[in-house]
Amino acid sequence: MKATWILPDGQEITAEFADGLNMMEAAVANNVPGVIGECGGNLSCATCHVYVDAAWADKTGTPDEFEDAMLDVAEAPHEDTSRLSCQIKAGAALDGIVLRVPQV
Amino acid sequence: MTVWTPSDDGYADLSSHGTFAQGAPHNTFARLRRDDPLSWTDWDGGAGFWSVTRHEDIVKLNGNFELMSSARGIRMEDQSYEEYLARRTFQETDPPEHMKTRVKVAKAFSKPVIAEFEDQIRELCDDILDPALEMGTLDATKEIARQLPMRMLGRILGTPDEDLPWLVEKGDALIANTDPDFTDHVLDKMETDAFRMMPFNSPAGAELYQYAKELMEHKTAQGDTDGILNMILQPGRDGNVISETEFRNFFCLLVAAGNDTTRYSIAAGIQALAHQPELLSQLQTGDHWDTAPDEIIRWATPALYFRRTATRDFEMHGKTVREGDKVLLWFSSANRDDAVFDDPFRVDPARTPNKHLSFGQGGPHVCLGMWLARLEVRVLFEELVKRIRKVEPAGPHQFLRSNFVGGIKSLPVTVTPA
Ligand code: HEM
Ligand code: FES
Repeated sequence: MKATWILPDGQEITAEFADGLNMMEAAVANNVPGVIGECGGNLSCATCHVYVDAAWADKTGTPDEFEDAMLDVAEAPHEDTSRLSCQIKAGAALDGIVLRVPQV
Repeated sequence: MTVWTPSDDGYADLSSHGTFAQGAPHNTFARLRRDDPLSWTDWDGGAGFWSVTRHEDIVKLNGNFELMSSARGIRMEDQSYEEYLARRTFQETDPPEHMKTRVKVAKAFSKPVIAEFEDQIRELCDDILDPALEMGTLDATKEIARQLPMRMLGRILGTPDEDLPWLVEKGDALIANTDPDFTDHVLDKMETDAFRMMPFNSPAGAELYQYAKELMEHKTAQGDTDGILNMILQPGRDGNVISETEFRNFFCLLVAAGNDTTRYSIAAGIQALAHQPELLSQLQTGDHWDTAPDEIIRWATPALYFRRTATRDFEMHGKTVREGDKVLLWFSSANRDDAVFDDPFRVDPARTPNKHLSFGQGGPHVCLGMWLARLEVRVLFEELVKRIRKVEPAGPHQFLRSNFVGGIKSLPVTVTPA
């Protein structure tokens, strides 16, 4: 599948990667700056925070209770479409998804 | 002059605390990474254990908490279920249970909350560095490295300054409980049975429990809102309040985990300045403050390993790990793995990316205090390099006798002011 990350300066990174990764792993594999993933996708670090583009927000679902609490721990503000990207599984339904990397 | 050259013969006994009194046995780690990346050690102090030494393998296993449990102990020593229940903190639980406590404390240690402490840390650095540097020749661990984390701990806990030396002494006794300089109850040398049910096998744990209880009662009674600990005592968004046991365990964990690790990171950074002369001028350019703290913390690797326990049989590198086997993830080895780091024995303040594992990165237990540790290290070295022209060794430095905490416990240096 394919995804696009929009960096804080407006630059875009589009990459192709295998289904089954999560969106943090996909970002790290494609050197997207600002998505770090220090806990390896285990919901402990909040360094994989992204804003899901409004057009995609209902397709990614909403954060569960722990993710929601951990979004308060992230460096950038917790907005309506905030997600910890390690909790979003890549897959056909999200092919073409657009994610914004927060300004920190 | 190189910054540090390992001197072990490549066949060091990883179960022996004495091995590490000369520094981590990096020739042994290099051999294991190359020839025996999943290696068995027999141990006369308990059940033997597996050692994982390659960076790649450690990251993979540390992320897999279903296979690699933290709930049966996180150090080499065996413990019974009763001991475990008496002593555990959330560091010794697995997700999803782990998350229930971690979310309650995560905000207080988040990067933005911690960033608020920068000015306070800088003031503490002024107070510490000016008198220390005036000494000319000094033990940098004692006069500098030990001071900052101790005083910051006081700010975090909201404890009176006069209690700090006592707290740090107890914290050291908890964690450095294999070095006779730090505890009367040397774990592998004495009968510690009487202390088995106490946190960290140590009477210091029981004393800290009592202190935490009184502190919490006092704060509640006074309506005192100082310090990060109060954030933790507030109800979460779901209305849940941290339990008293959780709080006391967490208190001990902070005193033990946040103090000596930061201390030994600062010490290792000063040791690097003394042995790798170009480092000082590199730092003085001011160009590397985004990357230098992580490099210093990689160089230090104060948490040499953490242990997990296999929850089922599995195969790796042609060997079978059995359910219940102890598996040590040697962050110390991973941080010198030349498959990941160019020239791993050089301190490169500009190193990018720096995928070191000093904080246990890649797993759910990734260090809660990492933003605080990075900030303390950055501000301390910013303030230090401003004030000096040269640091030189003033005699051999000494490592801690522990295979768990890696640190320079005495570091004689001579400093020349700027
Ligand atoms: C350079 C300094 C530090 C180093 C190298 C370090 C290292 C580590 C490592 C390796 C772990 C993971 C343990 C595991 O995988 O089981 C950890 C966890 C932890 N650290 Fe640190 N630490 C440092 C500073 C701090 C500070 C300053 C604090 C708090 C004030 C702190 C509090 C904790 C806590 C509470 C945990 C347990 C987290 C959990 O289990 O979810 N650490 N640390
Ligand atoms: S990678 Fe740590 S929370 Fe997503």
